[in-house]
Amino acid sequence: MTRLLIALTLVLAAPFAQATVRVFTCEPEWEALARELGGDRVEVYAATTAQQDPHRIQARPSLIAQLRQADLLVCTGADLEAGWLPVLLRQARNPTVQPGQPGHFLAADSVRLLEVPTTLDRAEGDVHPQGNPHIQVDPRRIATVAAALGRRLAEIDAANAAVFGARTDDFLKRWRAAIARWERQAASLRGKRFVVQHAEWVYLFDWLGIQTAGAIEPKPGLPPAAGHLAALKAQLASRRADGIVRSPLGDPKAVEWLAAETGLPVIELPQTVGATADAGSLFALFDAILGRLSDGRR
Amino acid sequence: MNIDLSIVGPAFVTGLVVLASHVPLGRRVLERGIVFLDLAVAQLAATGAVAVHLLDIEKEWAVQLGALAAALLGAFALYGCERRWPRFQEALIGATFVVSASLVMLLLAGSPHGGEHLQDVLAGQLLWVTWEQIALAAAASAGVLILWRTLRDRLGAGLFYGLFAVAVTVSVQLVGVYLVFASLILPALVATRRGLAVGYLAGAVGYAVGLAVSALLDLPAGPSAVCGLAVASAAFGVGVRAR
Repeated sequence: MTRLLIALTLVLAAPFAQATVRVFTCEPEWEALARELGGDRVEVYAATTAQQDPHRIQARPSLIAQLRQADLLVCTGADLEAGWLPVLLRQARNPTVQPGQPGHFLAADSVRLLEVPTTLDRAEGDVHPQGNPHIQVDPRRIATVAAALGRRLAEIDAANAAVFGARTDDFLKRWRAAIARWERQAASLRGKRFVVQHAEWVYLFDWLGIQTAGAIEPKPGLPPAAGHLAALKAQLASRRADGIVRSPLGDPKAVEWLAAETGLPVIELPQTVGATADAGSLFALFDAILGRLSDGRR
Repeated sequence: MNIDLSIVGPAFVTGLVVLASHVPLGRRVLERGIVFLDLAVAQLAATGAVAVHLLDIEKEWAVQLGALAAALLGAFALYGCERRWPRFQEALIGATFVVSASLVMLLLAGSPHGGEHLQDVLAGQLLWVTWEQIALAAAASAGVLILWRTLRDRLGAGLFYGLFAVAVTVSVQLVGVYLVFASLILPALVATRRGLAVGYLAGAVGYAVGLAVSALLDLPAGPSAVCGLAVASAAFGVGVRAR
């Protein structure tokens, strides 16, 4: 009889037990953000690692299985995942996370994008017609996304709305203090000019007042043409840059070539949380970025 | 991670549909010694698709038509080469593959779009296949098989190259180039020694084992299926000595 009563109590208490929101994130930066804002009230799965290019992925069974069970999808949007997310959403057949539902959260919808093509002329079009999607390297935009994500979590799991609200406020307080600290640290970087390997640092440079001195591989996946490299080299000879910036994902050969030709230092920056050993969290990511830029470290 | 049939099930059925036409065609490929033909034809189909895109034509049926047209043209060109210079056939096939792959890159280099997603147009990923695509592929497979069985004695090599181009253009979009090659060649090696039925069995077991491993260990499905086909074909092929 006692056992029956205990079992009954447990069964009746189950709905009041602490439920978690299952979050499916496309990239490691949103995984880190979801954990910051959700704490133990979320279970987070990341579709890609920091060592993978989010433009394309290899289809694994867990991607479909995890998305099928998800309550909330958090991705960058702006066509960054256009190569695989639509088919994955279709295969998962989870109505909660389809576009238009509260369970479908795209970070790019909350922020102003840069490099949006202004003309409809196809000759001006580039790889990302909605604008540059690599917003995760600007902490001001991360703050905007965090506020929106915190509200969305509260909307999805109203029972824990107070928890999400408190955690979001706490995160934003610490984050804004960190931004002030980083801006003081980066004051000497203002006005500097760096060559980039790919067009993924636009938002970072916009924040820090850095100028792009040229791009080595403007089209990912296609090796740069000889004419383009020659023009870049000539350009750098007439107006010097302060270095070449790359992420661990890019092919080092093109960068090493330009460094040898111009004598410019190569600076490797983590493009997301976990890309390098010293970028283990969102805070550490920008500590690492600013530290490496300031040192001119490889 | 357990085996979720709703995820790998459609992938397995896709594999069976691909095997249906590819095992008999593969046997012919081995007999003729033109093993890398499918790589060349698949790459030509990709070139055709890219060319259609560059003409600013976005309609799906036009892309398919472009891919098929390029594959058929290339296949028949190679058939002509086989009749005139049979000794150089393998070299010509290999050359067709690398030249058309390079052409794709040259075409895309000039395009403002960069073709980031076009590289994957004919890559194919096994887990993304829908039931509609499977139904269409099954119809194509059945058509190829029926035409092959009824007309091959009369039309011979020309029919072979044509049907081959159709079969590969359809399957490469479902499973990707490497898995098409594996499905074509590996079970056919078994079939050459032990007959068509055992070849089909080896193919089916290969897909099943590969997909099971990919589900259990959460690995990419396509490459796992390739390895599964290799293991199964080795097991079935060397099990009994040829008499």
